[in-house]
Amino acid sequence: MDDAVFVLSAWGVTAAAIALYALRVLGRGRRLSRRVPEERRRWM
Amino acid sequence: VTTTLAPPSSRAATANHTGSPVTRVLGLTVAVGLVLLVPLGLWWSPADQTQGDAVRIMYVHVPSAVTAYLAFGVTALGSAMYLWRKSPFWDLLAGASAEIGVVFTALTLVTGMLWGRPTWGTYWEWDPRLTTTALLLVLFLGYLAVRSTSGERRVRARRAAVAGLAAFVDVPLVHYSVEWWRSLHQGPTITRLDPTIDGLMLFTLMTGIVVFTGLYAWLLVHRFRVQHLEEELAERGLAEAITERRREAEVDA
Repeated sequence: MDDAVFVLSAWGVTAAAIALYALRVLGRGRRLSRRVPEERRRWM
Repeated sequence: VTTTLAPPSSRAATANHTGSPVTRVLGLTVAVGLVLLVPLGLWWSPADQTQGDAVRIMYVHVPSAVTAYLAFGVTALGSAMYLWRKSPFWDLLAGASAEIGVVFTALTLVTGMLWGRPTWGTYWEWDPRLTTTALLLVLFLGYLAVRSTSGERRVRARRAAVAGLAAFVDVPLVHYSVEWWRSLHQGPTITRLDPTIDGLMLFTLMTGIVVFTGLYAWLLVHRFRVQHLEEELAERGLAEAITERRREAEVDA
């Protein structure tokens, strides 16, 4: 593959950023859910 | 408030997370799509005649850009609706979408730079498309900064709504910059009525756009719920502080 460093870097950065952001959002949701009463956890 | 709380007895309301049956199905579908996109983009689709394999960056760069446009479009819609209806739902939706848009705009810039080096010979040029995209990132970082300021919730939401609408003005500038000004960036390829792109390349690109759109929807639901939880906690903290202050005042009296 030509320019493999650039191609794989672009895909790698994208995968890593999306995975990190998704894990951050899910983790924050788990932490906050425990602190909010059950009846007020969901809005949609 | 135009939305309703889920009944306390529902299964979703008792879980210690922001997931639900719908987000689980959507998340699984997106995961399958992402797994399919990797061999499509990296091996099965052909190399470009002039760019070679560097064209494979397009399958993450363009979907990231489209997702960022979509996210900021939802922010603008949420902002306009908040100013009209004054419902916290629209404010939360606008904020959740803007944060996701910032992530995908940053990815658009980084993948674009990695694409620019092998094709243009440089990571960065102060080209109209690149400059307006960088400006878009700065504008929505500013929007998120407005949202994070302290103060009365309704005032903050109104300021954020105005900032969100103002920042969105840059989106059409980004999109049409390659047509309105002389640009190093290539012009539109798939929005033309007669796309000149190879069939399998177009299929891979469209798959990427559909999968990233699904990913955006999944992230949006989770981020919205997290933001709702943050608001609930902030209101609870305020109520507890007021109660504590009243108790102190009674003791003093």
